[in-house]
Amino acid sequence: MILRRPLLSLLSAIAFTVMLGPVVILLGVAFTAGSTLTFPPEGLSLRWFAAAVEYRPFIDTLGTSLVVAVASTLAALVLGVPATLALQRGAVPGRAVVENLFMTPIIVPELVLGLALFQQFMVGLHITALGTLIIGHTVLLLPYAVRVVGASLALADPKLEEAARGLGAGPVRTFFTVTLPVMRPGIISATILAFITSLNNVPLSLLLTGPGVATLPVEMLNYVQSSFDPVVAAVSVILLALSVGVALLTERLVGFNKVFGR
Amino acid sequence: MDVTRRVTMRVLLLPGLAVLLFAFLYPVALTLAAPPDGDPATVARETGTLLSDPHLLPVIARSIRVAVMTTLICLLLGFPTAYLVSRAPARWSGKLLALAIFPLMLNTVVRTYGWIAVLGGNGVLSTASQALGLGRVQLLYTETAIVLGLVQLFLPLMILSSYSSLSQQDPRLEDAARGLGAGPGRVFRQVVFPLALPGALVGCTLVFAGSITAFTTPQLLGGSRERILSTLLYSRVNVSLDWPSASAVALVMTVLVLAVAALSGRLSKRGSTTS
Repeated sequence: MILRRPLLSLLSAIAFTVMLGPVVILLGVAFTAGSTLTFPPEGLSLRWFAAAVEYRPFIDTLGTSLVVAVASTLAALVLGVPATLALQRGAVPGRAVVENLFMTPIIVPELVLGLALFQQFMVGLHITALGTLIIGHTVLLLPYAVRVVGASLALADPKLEEAARGLGAGPVRTFFTVTLPVMRPGIISATILAFITSLNNVPLSLLLTGPGVATLPVEMLNYVQSSFDPVVAAVSVILLALSVGVALLTERLVGFNKVFGR
Repeated sequence: MDVTRRVTMRVLLLPGLAVLLFAFLYPVALTLAAPPDGDPATVARETGTLLSDPHLLPVIARSIRVAVMTTLICLLLGFPTAYLVSRAPARWSGKLLALAIFPLMLNTVVRTYGWIAVLGGNGVLSTASQALGLGRVQLLYTETAIVLGLVQLFLPLMILSSYSSLSQQDPRLEDAARGLGAGPGRVFRQVVFPLALPGALVGCTLVFAGSITAFTTPQLLGGSRERILSTLLYSRVNVSLDWPSASAVALVMTVLVLAVAALSGRLSKRGSTTS
């Protein structure tokens, strides 16, 4: 392949370098014994990992991030799965319009949604930062739930459900024995995608902070802007290790080319 | 379909629609049109100022320029990568795809922070250039740095969108074109690319919209020297606490993104009816 396609291979080598190079460099920086962000690192040490684990705000905000990610992923699924079921199987009038409506949170800039929720919910309705964060993330994740679960429904033949009903199964039994198994891969993919999206979000969460309440990425951003020491590099390595774990698990459970291939 | 089933299906839609309306459309519309301490007239006046102020016009121009450059580079690098991945043997394609998707699992601070060690005054690039006798290079806090950071951020999206089109293509089409005497370059340009255009177009839309609205990367790599719309919006909210003028920036940003999404929707519709 590489020999047959020299130009394409070169372009794709550049692509992988740009995508992964800075991350690899960050990996190296985290293990430095020096106190600046330089590569190659000045000697090896784990001191920045110790500093990262001891820095309270990172641990507190990681807690907030996890609470927000779990709550908003669940909420998006609870709202999105029934909606996508109705859109795919319900002969809803104006289906295209409703479907587009469910996709709009992806298009509108997150910073704008964050500003809106800050003004109307936190300042206007006095909802707590944590509550507003969960509401905002739910809105952001709803399109993923609707689209990804909808894709697995769209691929399945609706005649399966008709057959089940024709053979005497009631609506509840049809749902649990036919429709739900059909949606399962979509629900797994949507859950992983939604959880990661919430956990990594910055622009939406940026303005939705309160006293002692922020998400980990926002706290990392604030830290990076005031100090160039390698603590955040060490935090990144810890997050990286967790992500690799999740990635391997995803590949084992469903396989990447199946999640993204269609 | 019987009546109870039809009613049930519509009821299933309601909670989602209610949340969209109450927690998304309503607050966003209010913030864009009539923020606290402002009314539609104030926002309109602020928008007018934004679109005519010689200090702010370059910010809009820079936002668009950065987004266009990022989209083009992502297409140039991402589409060939998606092609190679889709045509690689199965045991390789899964691993390559995983490698391309894996950065999506890291937050933008993690992905962007590495660039500071690459592009800064004492960074990898500067050290290399000094070793070659070319002197110090400081690319941090330039437009180039923003574009590089955004390309890194959005390449996975371009690769995924193109891959989903490319993986559905029948590889025998390429064999046929080659059998009829077309060279590899011609096959790529005249068969592979046109057929995968819908996927590439989706990728371009995602990258462009993402670049216009991205915040973390331009904030870290462009700083206050090279402002784009998103970082301007943030400073309006957080530094100057000027809500009507923040709404004006938000309005321009939203309109830009919606325009591009609508344009790409039209293009892909036309593509699917003509092919």
